[in-house]
Order: sequence, then C-alpha cells, then structure tokens
Amino acid sequence: MKLSWRRISKEAKLLLIGIPVLIWTMLPIYHLFLFSISPKEAAFAGHLWPDHPTLRNFEIVFGEHHYYLSHFWLQMWNSFIIAVAVGLLTLFVATGAAFAISRLKVKGGRAIMNLALFTYFIPAAFLAVPMYKTMGVYGLLNNQWALILAMLTIAAPYSIWVLKQASDKLPYELDEAAKIDGASPLQLFRLVYLALMMPSLVAIGTYALLLAWNEYLYAFLLLSNERQITLGVALGNFLAADDSPWELLMTTGLIYALPPAAIYYAFKRYMVGGLTAGAVKT
Amino acid sequence: MASVSFQSVEKAFGSTKVIHGIGFDIKDGEFMVLVGPSGCGKSTLLRMLAGLEEISGGTIAIDGKVVNDVESKDRDIAMVFQSYALYPHMTVADNMAFSLKLRKAEPKTIEERVAKAAKILNLDPYLKRYPRELSGGQRQRVAMGRAIVRDPKVFLFDEPLSNLDAKLRVAMRGEIKALHQRLKTTTVYVTHDQVEAMTMADRIVVMHDGRVEQIGTPLDLYDHPGNLFVAQFIGSPAMNVIEGTVRRVNGTRHVEAAGGVLWPLGNETGSEGQAVSYGVRPEHLRVTGANDGVPAEIIVVEPTGAETELLVQAGTAQVTLVTHGRPQVSPGDRIGLGIEQGAVHLFDQKTGQRIGA
Repeated sequence: MKLSWRRISKEAKLLLIGIPVLIWTMLPIYHLFLFSISPKEAAFAGHLWPDHPTLRNFEIVFGEHHYYLSHFWLQMWNSFIIAVAVGLLTLFVATGAAFAISRLKVKGGRAIMNLALFTYFIPAAFLAVPMYKTMGVYGLLNNQWALILAMLTIAAPYSIWVLKQASDKLPYELDEAAKIDGASPLQLFRLVYLALMMPSLVAIGTYALLLAWNEYLYAFLLLSNERQITLGVALGNFLAADDSPWELLMTTGLIYALPPAAIYYAFKRYMVGGLTAGAVKT
Repeated sequence: MASVSFQSVEKAFGSTKVIHGIGFDIKDGEFMVLVGPSGCGKSTLLRMLAGLEEISGGTIAIDGKVVNDVESKDRDIAMVFQSYALYPHMTVADNMAFSLKLRKAEPKTIEERVAKAAKILNLDPYLKRYPRELSGGQRQRVAMGRAIVRDPKVFLFDEPLSNLDAKLRVAMRGEIKALHQRLKTTTVYVTHDQVEAMTMADRIVVMHDGRVEQIGTPLDLYDHPGNLFVAQFIGSPAMNVIEGTVRRVNGTRHVEAAGGVLWPLGNETGSEGQAVSYGVRPEHLRVTGANDGVPAEIIVVEPTGAETELLVQAGTAQVTLVTHGRPQVSPGDRIGLGIEQGAVHLFDQKTGQRIGA
C-alpha cells in the first residue's frame, strides 16, 4: 500500500510537469490545425472547434488556387531538393573530414576543425550579408546553389565535430586489423568505417536536411525569383499583403511541418543516439 | 613459414626512448613468447614487427628480408589483437574472408580456406553469426580464424587471452598451442602473464624497461635465471630472495642475512664478504624440526588441496614455501627450514647478475 502511494505521488509529479509542457507545445500546433480546417470567415472566431470544419483550405493549397500559392508544388520541390542536397553534401564533407581527422590523424586536422567551429562564435545572421556579397562575387545569386552552399557552410562545422567525436569512439584496433588485412585507407573508409558510423551518419544527415528545410533568412536573401524560392520564403511573402489569407498560410505551414515531423519520427532512434554520441567523453 | 630477426632495434616516442637496441632471432616455426611487466616495450616491439609502429633504429627482417619500409599488408603477417578487433558489421565468415577479398582471391579459394579454418577452430555452426552474438572465447577463435585463412609467414598475438576469464584462458592456451603444433607457423606471442609464457613457449624473451633481460627455453629460464629480475619474474609463487653477505661460519659457507640468520650455501661461488641476493624457490624449501635448518615461524597456512603454501618468517625475511604434503602445522609454530641441495641461486646485490653457473 505504502509502495503504491509512493508510486502514485511520483506519477502525479511527472504528470504535473508533463501536462503543462504538453499544453505549452501542443497549443500553437492545435491553433495551426484549427486555422487549417476553418473557413476564412470563422478563422478568428476563437472557438475550440469550428462550427463547420472544412477541408476546403487544403483543396485550395494543393490545387494552387490562390495568388500566393500559384507555385506551391514547385516551391515545395525546391525546399525538398535543397534540403536533400544540403543533407548529402554535408554528409560527404563532414564524413570525409571526420575520417581524416579522427582515423588517419592528418596533421593539423584538429586545428582545422576548431577553426571551423570558431565560425559559430559569430551569429549566422551577421554572416548573412557577407555571404550575400560572396555569392554575388561568384555570380550565384538567385541560383539555388547559393543557398545550398551557404547552408552547407553553416551545417558542416557542427557535423564534423559530432562525427569526429563519434568516430573517436570506434576502437583503433579495427583500423589496424584492416591495415594488416590489406585495406587501403579508402577501403577502410568504404568497407569498415561507413558501416560502423551509420547511426551517426543518419543523425547528421537528418540534422543538415532539417536545418536547410527550416531555413528562412538565407533563403530569403539569396533567392528572390518566385520560381526559385523555397516554400518557407513563400510563406513569408503571405505577410506582404494587407489582408493576408491566414487560414491558407496556416494550412500551408501545417503541410510544411509534416515532412520534418515524419523524418524525425522515422529516425528518432538514431537522432537521440547519434547527436549525443559525442556529448560525453568516456 | 619464416624466420624473424631483430637487430639493434630501437624505438623512441618523441624524446622518450622505449626500446633500447634489442636484437635476437626467431627460428622458422618457433613459438616465441615476449613477456615482461606492463610498459616493458613488448607490445611496442610486436607492433613494430607488424608494421603498426615505425622503427626508430636498427632493422627487423622477416625471412631474411628487411621489412623496415614494407607496409603491414605486404609483410605477410597476421595479427590477433587483445580486443579481438572483429568487424562488428560482418558475419564470422565475412570477417575471416575479408583479407582474402581485399587481395582479390578467387571466391572458390576464399570459401575453401574459410571452411578449412572454421573446421580447425570448430566455428562451423557460427559462420553466419555476427560477432556480437558470440561468447568471448568464440570471438577469440574467430580472430584466430581470420589469421589462419591468410596462411601468413608469421602469426602475431598481442595479449590475446587477457580479456577472457581464468578458466577459458587455460582452455584457449591449449588451443593456441595445439594450433601451432598443427600449423607449425612461426609465432610471436606477447603476454604479461609468465604462466602463459612458460606453458606455451618454445623460447621466451623476458623484457624489462625496453631491454632484453634473458632469452631461453621456459625451463632454462626457470632453472638458470640470469639475473634477479628474471628470477623473480618467472615462477609462481615467486622465488624467495633474501639479502645478505657471504660468510664462512664453522668451516661452512653461509649467507648471513639481517638479524644474523644463516642461510646455507652449497657449491655456489661467491667470494667471502660479497653482498648478495640469496634466491631459493618455494618448492625447494621443506619443513624440518625446530632445531634443524634455518629457524623460522609460521605465519599463514594456505592449503590448496594438492599443495600447501606456507608463509613463514625467518629473521626479518618473509619466505614462501610450497609443499606437496599436508604438513601438520599451524600459525605460530616454530619450525626449521631445510633447503634442497643445489637449489640456491646467488645474485650480486649491486648488479643483480647471477653469480656462478
């Protein structure tokens, strides 16, 4: 009896913390959802559930039946292709760097990694203008490569650091065994290292992909043609109007939030394990 | 199969010298054990032979060919690591086949060799399993299998049994020895465990502080340790060593230890007045009557069944004694210590070197 009381009080404490946190995080999302199923005139009615829930908003968005949404699918595709490109390129750069620094112990590798990490001392917003200028010099403005390269720059230092920490944990004897077995560094990388790093690679790939998917500032600065911009920037353009179609903005926002949620859910096992992999020195 | 030759081999990490000019030869087909306390440089020496560490000075030759500048993979060696170092994402069969695949061997050859190695090591039922699904002993066998399939000139073992429990260690010791007798491949085996060294080796290299203390067959080292270090390192329980001075008392020669205790000398050389270390192995001591031999008092009695280990106090020295019987003694008893003829080892106290034969 005593034990169960203790258990109940413990559960109660958890609930006491958990319920406010749940409400705190879910409320804005619920609002987003409410807007998306409310007709335009009822959007601001303030009901907990609309009188006449409708899927009309989704129809408009998917059918591109609004001025602001005339390139919805294209912009969604832009977001997708840019995010995937950033994810893959970051993986390519960071894995190679981590392998070189951690396993091949390239001289000066650590210094280079620390230099890269140093860029985080400057807020990304401050770097936006120099980056804009740089892309201008290279003639990449209004080219999606500009955004991809910019996001790669932002994602890479952290990714290299996490992957380096994770690969430091792999036993060095494996490299030596492979070396004696006759593996060249490239074969070691391809046949042993990549397989063992997979959880961390998934985590970092997802991290970079989501970072690019959610980016607004750089996307807004570097791309301006509405056939080039990402959906995130397109959403921002809604606010340019005096009478913004809030219910469509929220509907699109909800749709835009779904892929990251799905990706996170699919890979959450790796995300937790991978992103904390380098957190503690063991 | 091949011979291995070390000549004035040196190793320095930065300005710290860890190996000071080591030279010896390993014969074709020999099972050579490098033994010594941790930090003595035995693993470093093995890793230099494996090509995992640069050679700072001198030469290492395999089969007469100097390999200082030859890559690991081209030295035709195979190594078994303490941590097994199995590839976790590959099955047992893939682990064993890895080196052959890298060398682009025919799939048929690979299959045959893996099957043969698996048969030798009783790994047949586990070929499709992953390392994480195996016990420690099985993993160790896979690591050996990976070495066998290569059919290398030299096997290298780096403390391969340290991660196993005591019982398994003894079993694997036998397996490795049997494997060597079957394959007759030249083997270099590193361990800090002198029992492992004694039971497995054809010859032993005892190392200490980056130098070779003595090289010889196990029983040679046991019976004729060349210096105090080897004397105390080889054998378990360790040799008793008593510090004293050579004296002639009543016409016979003794070593007089602190407190005036006289330890008898036989034909061992050693000049009168010389400061020496008097060494005698625990099994060469026996319990006699209180008025015979060296007077002593029993402190601890440890029966192990087959043998009884006694810790006794003789003067200021504590001495271990092993007897096959079950002596009827208990702590506090006063006894005499008898010493077997010709069983005494004398060492110079200053240099630690053996005196006489």
